[in-house]
Amino acid sequence: MTSQPAAHTSPLDVDLTALDGTPLDLDGLRRSAVLVVNVASRCGLTPQYEALERLQKRYAAAGFSVLGVPCNQFAGQEPGTPEEIATFCRATYGTTFPLTEKLDVNGQQRHPLYDRLTGVADSDGQAGEVMWNFEKFLISPAGDVVARFRPPVEPEADEVVAAIERVLP
Amino acid sequence: MTPPTTTVRAEDVRVGDRVLEASGDELTVTRIDAAFMGRPEMIAYVEDTPARWRKLPMMVGADVEIVRTTPA
Repeated sequence: MTSQPAAHTSPLDVDLTALDGTPLDLDGLRRSAVLVVNVASRCGLTPQYEALERLQKRYAAAGFSVLGVPCNQFAGQEPGTPEEIATFCRATYGTTFPLTEKLDVNGQQRHPLYDRLTGVADSDGQAGEVMWNFEKFLISPAGDVVARFRPPVEPEADEVVAAIERVLP
Repeated sequence: MTPPTTTVRAEDVRVGDRVLEASGDELTVTRIDAAFMGRPEMIAYVEDTPARWRKLPMMVGADVEIVRTTPA
């Protein structure tokens, strides 16, 4: 029997539901460079939304998108309903990038999106659990997870911007 | 009968303790991580069970309200 090489799949080859409960349109995201970020509304890092939205505006036309993933696993800092989260993001930060429904990113109930992402190491060689809110994973248009940035790394840090610009389609 | 709560220092919390959060939720500690986000003055309690995964950071030296059901 001849074995076939496994087809290359992207972490985005999963079903994702948008914050409003509708299926998230993944076709466009799969052709883009995507920065996946687990977000929370009541975290000391929540102001990172401002820089994430600036990245979105700066690179969207070039084939880039932030994908926000609300998550309540870190000190319960994302307790709101989908409507509350959406309103907070729009009213406070004017966000335009897509948000998924609230997901688990760690543990046995972890969403399949994060099965792949958490297997990728950061710049210190550490893979595994998401550390805290606002951890960032960069997926290339080819579906490779090319970088992982821990929560304290600002979205507009040189290393993040350079990584994004390297993988723009 | 509900076990009584007690207040301990953050670093004296043990695996098996149930930490009472400010929100009123409880976190059952299954793991304690040192140096949360690289900060040695902070630790993090993790509840990692089939039912749920949660993480709660705490300053070393802070008072924490717990329910302890395991013997000393």
